[in-house]
Amino acid sequence: MQADYTLKVLDLKKHYGDVHAVDGVSFDVQTGEVFTMLGPNGAGKTTTLEILEGIRVPDSGELVLFGDVMSRVSRAAKQRMGVLLQDGGFEPHLKVKEIIQLFASFFSSSRPISEVLDLVALTEKAGAQVRNLSGGQKQRMAVGVALVNDPDLIFLDEPTTGLDPQARRNLWDVIERLKADGKTLILTTHYMEEAEELSDAICIMDHGKIIASGSPHDLTASLGHETLIEFRWDDPPNDAVRVLDACCEQVRLEGERVTMETSMLPKTMAQLLQWSEETAVPLRDLRVRQPNLEDVFLSMTGRTLRE
Amino acid sequence: MRSFAALLLAEVRNFTRDKLMLFFTLLFPVVFILLFGFLFSGMGDAERAEVGFVLESAHNEELLLSVLSEAGVGNTISFPDREELEAAISDHRVDFGLIWTGDDLRFLYDPGRLQENVAFQQIAGGIAAEFDMRAQGAQPAITVHRIHAGEIESTGWFNLVLPGILAFTILSSGLFAVSGHLTQMKERKILDRLIVTPMRPTALLIAIAIVRLVVGLISTFITLGVGMLIFRLNFTVDWVRYILFVVCSTLGTMGLGTVIALLVRRPSSAGNLANVLAMIMMFLAGIYFPIEFMPGFLRTISAGLPLTHMANVMRSVTGVMDMSDIRYWLTTAAFLGLAIVLFPLMARYVVKPLRR
Amino acid sequence: MKGIFALARAHVIAGIREKDTLFWFLVFPLFLLTILTLIFGRLGQDPEIHFTIALIDREAASSDAAFSPSAIVRELFSSLTLSETPGERPLFSLRTPASTDALDAFQEKEIEQLRRGNRAAVLVIPPGFDRNVLQSLQAGGQSPQPSVEAGLQLYMSQTSVASETAAAIIEQILAGLDRNLLAQMGLYDEAASIDVVTEWTQQEQADSEVPYVNYVLPSIVLMGFFTTGLFGVPGTILYNREGKVLRQYWVTPLSVRQYLLGFGVGHVIFCAIQFALVLLLGRLAFGATLQFSSWHTVLLLILASATFLAFGFLITSFARSANGGMAIANILNMPMMFLSGMFFPIVGLPIFLMILVYANPVTYVLEALRQSVGIQAGTLMPWPWPVLVPLLWILVCSAVAVRRLRWDVGS
Repeated sequence: MQADYTLKVLDLKKHYGDVHAVDGVSFDVQTGEVFTMLGPNGAGKTTTLEILEGIRVPDSGELVLFGDVMSRVSRAAKQRMGVLLQDGGFEPHLKVKEIIQLFASFFSSSRPISEVLDLVALTEKAGAQVRNLSGGQKQRMAVGVALVNDPDLIFLDEPTTGLDPQARRNLWDVIERLKADGKTLILTTHYMEEAEELSDAICIMDHGKIIASGSPHDLTASLGHETLIEFRWDDPPNDAVRVLDACCEQVRLEGERVTMETSMLPKTMAQLLQWSEETAVPLRDLRVRQPNLEDVFLSMTGRTLRE
Repeated sequence: MRSFAALLLAEVRNFTRDKLMLFFTLLFPVVFILLFGFLFSGMGDAERAEVGFVLESAHNEELLLSVLSEAGVGNTISFPDREELEAAISDHRVDFGLIWTGDDLRFLYDPGRLQENVAFQQIAGGIAAEFDMRAQGAQPAITVHRIHAGEIESTGWFNLVLPGILAFTILSSGLFAVSGHLTQMKERKILDRLIVTPMRPTALLIAIAIVRLVVGLISTFITLGVGMLIFRLNFTVDWVRYILFVVCSTLGTMGLGTVIALLVRRPSSAGNLANVLAMIMMFLAGIYFPIEFMPGFLRTISAGLPLTHMANVMRSVTGVMDMSDIRYWLTTAAFLGLAIVLFPLMARYVVKPLRR
Repeated sequence: MKGIFALARAHVIAGIREKDTLFWFLVFPLFLLTILTLIFGRLGQDPEIHFTIALIDREAASSDAAFSPSAIVRELFSSLTLSETPGERPLFSLRTPASTDALDAFQEKEIEQLRRGNRAAVLVIPPGFDRNVLQSLQAGGQSPQPSVEAGLQLYMSQTSVASETAAAIIEQILAGLDRNLLAQMGLYDEAASIDVVTEWTQQEQADSEVPYVNYVLPSIVLMGFFTTGLFGVPGTILYNREGKVLRQYWVTPLSVRQYLLGFGVGHVIFCAIQFALVLLLGRLAFGATLQFSSWHTVLLLILASATFLAFGFLITSFARSANGGMAIANILNMPMMFLSGMFFPIVGLPIFLMILVYANPVTYVLEALRQSVGIQAGTLMPWPWPVLVPLLWILVCSAVAVRRLRWDVGS
């Protein structure tokens, strides 16, 4: 049996000029888990991923991949890896099956072409040229290409961006199936619910460093037992923030959107409603929810993930 | 009117900021002219031909030398033997060679200079006939002399090529205004943004046409100027007819560009197709090669190509080819008519949604 | 290894499927070969050649001599309006004035037609022609040169190749007639005439004429190779880099070296297809007799395609974007082709252009290939420069590409 870890990353660094894109990143990915990397653009997530995919060479640091120590991803390791690039491209004038065949030829062993086509439900489109495929079909073919060598470690870089809900669901199924087969997956995504639903482990990056990691539950639980109250207001009185701040742990403002963090929901809620009645400020779109990964990031950096 | 001015300004900016486009439309024809001008300036010119000769026999030697000196060629150079003469021909030091064996005259040509050899063979024929006649002490009883019937006395081959290049510049400017510029706007969804505004498609088309016309005129002026200044080419330009034809033919070829754009599925293919068609036309319209000797069916095709007629008109308005007034006006009217007929089509193309 | 061949195969297939590539790299060379052969292969030897000319005899009205050279000229030309073999067009269509009254108006009209390209030539027999010829014959060729006014006037247009050719033919016909008349008077002996032999350099037998297609074929082959390297390499690599097609390769065990090998093999195969098509057309349709089968010719063809492949990589290294790369290729394309002697001989160029000619790799491979198939000896430089310089180019281009070429976006 394999070591517990498919991948260990130790103090990885990469800089471009003065910019330290990856500034001493370390983490472990256990065999058979779905590991998700989160972070806003420019956090170093992409560079880290590109190093792990073997596209880039790190300045320093160490990788332990499939039990072998290396400073950069070796070709032998790539034999066991599959990568779904974010908006990767294919020669538009080749047919689907020709593309799969081409990529199969790069590996010392690969799945039969028909099996790959079947896996991503493209058997009917096998003879179609890439340029004539729809966006969803193209993405499925890219998944097929990533799986052509029956890899043990699979990178999925924003696999569902731009897909319709049905296509996204289908991809989730594929991921679940790979996980059931004991494959290790490293994922990045912009969708919090996707990360929460699929991931076993998550690391959040910012400014080239990992600022938090753990299971989705651990991460949200780290915020304590707080509950969030969200609403929008139009024209609050001047002292509104000061008043509301007094009745909860923290108030955050994003334009006309207000988020209150509280560990005593009934009390805060009562005070809020009372204030609303007294000042005649309507609480539009009022809702109460549990914190998610977005809030974890926000509470640690004061910024949102999406920007 | 204000929106039109804004559109026009946008088109002008569009053009002047695109360095590559500027280069290709304004400078590229000049590079061409320079290249061709230098390449062709010494080609097949009898008065400047260098003739190498070898006298293997002393018989009639004086006579041959005097015939050669009167042959009206650039220079005659003596060589000791055939080998050295051949080497000189191969190195292009002389244009063709002559060997006098005492019995016969052997003319030696470089097979690689096919386009020019016809002219060289004519010179050679003249030398041979003169020598033959005088060797027998005879003199021709029937003499012929050539009188040039054209308007310009010293019309060289390059004089004819240059207006052809001008015509080609106009053709590509017009074709690519639609099958390149407009289709690109469509592809980049810029047109979609314009269409949802109250702007009329005609306003956009007129703005594009104005920019193209100005650029086309400037570009042809530069080319013409370079030809006249650097290569001392003689042109007598009828400016009124010149400008009128550039305007009409630009508009007409814009119409043709629309037809091309309508023929293809994806807008980006239109530019490629236009490119291919322009290239084929360039060869068949006799811009660089004389078309008189093409087989009949190709001449028929050639006569049907707009570029052939554009080149002829450009030659006539620059004074290197004669053309009847009727033919000038008919051709100009035909291009204008093409523009008028195809303009609605063009306007429809602007607002036409992309086929998927 | 299988990856390299799969890549080569994909490269060729994609090239053939893409309409643009198909046209410029496979159809266009065939088109150009056809056009050039049809135009220049027939220059001056066209059996279907036909001219409309006008003949105006201003002598007939004034002459009553028994011996009338003007009448002979008239008869000669009218005999040429009949075709030698039935069904073929005769050499000339002759326009003559209907009556002797309005000769001036007729002549003016015909010259106007000549200017507009509707006549190939207008031949005028001046008054007093018969008397002048007669005097000249009687003087036994010892008289001073006949005056210009007494000669035939041949109006022609320098702007028309047809007119130039017609004029040359008419002059030949009249020169023949002249010799005939002189011979009849015993002033000229046909038997003692000096033979004129036409020979070509670098050719063993003077009698078997080398078809024009032989000269243009190597040029077309190299033009195909050149454009494939010049446009194909930056086109493929840069668009694939921008579209992250390349990145998709780099995440597999495929190395850059393997990719390059695959690309190179594909490129050479593509060139081979191109070559085969051009050669086939040249042989079957236009009767080319060139042999490309000797081992040095084959090696040279491979060298040529490798040189342009390397040159394509040089451009690719300097281009920041795909559009930029294609622009550079477009700018270099024509000047490099024309400044190599590919289609027009390099004669009398100014020094700054000669420097470009010698810097141009196309010049050398063209030279080498022409020497190898035996249609032209060294005109620009001696052996082994035509091979050494391209090899040097390959070396320099590869070195620059290794240092400068980026294989992935943003790296």
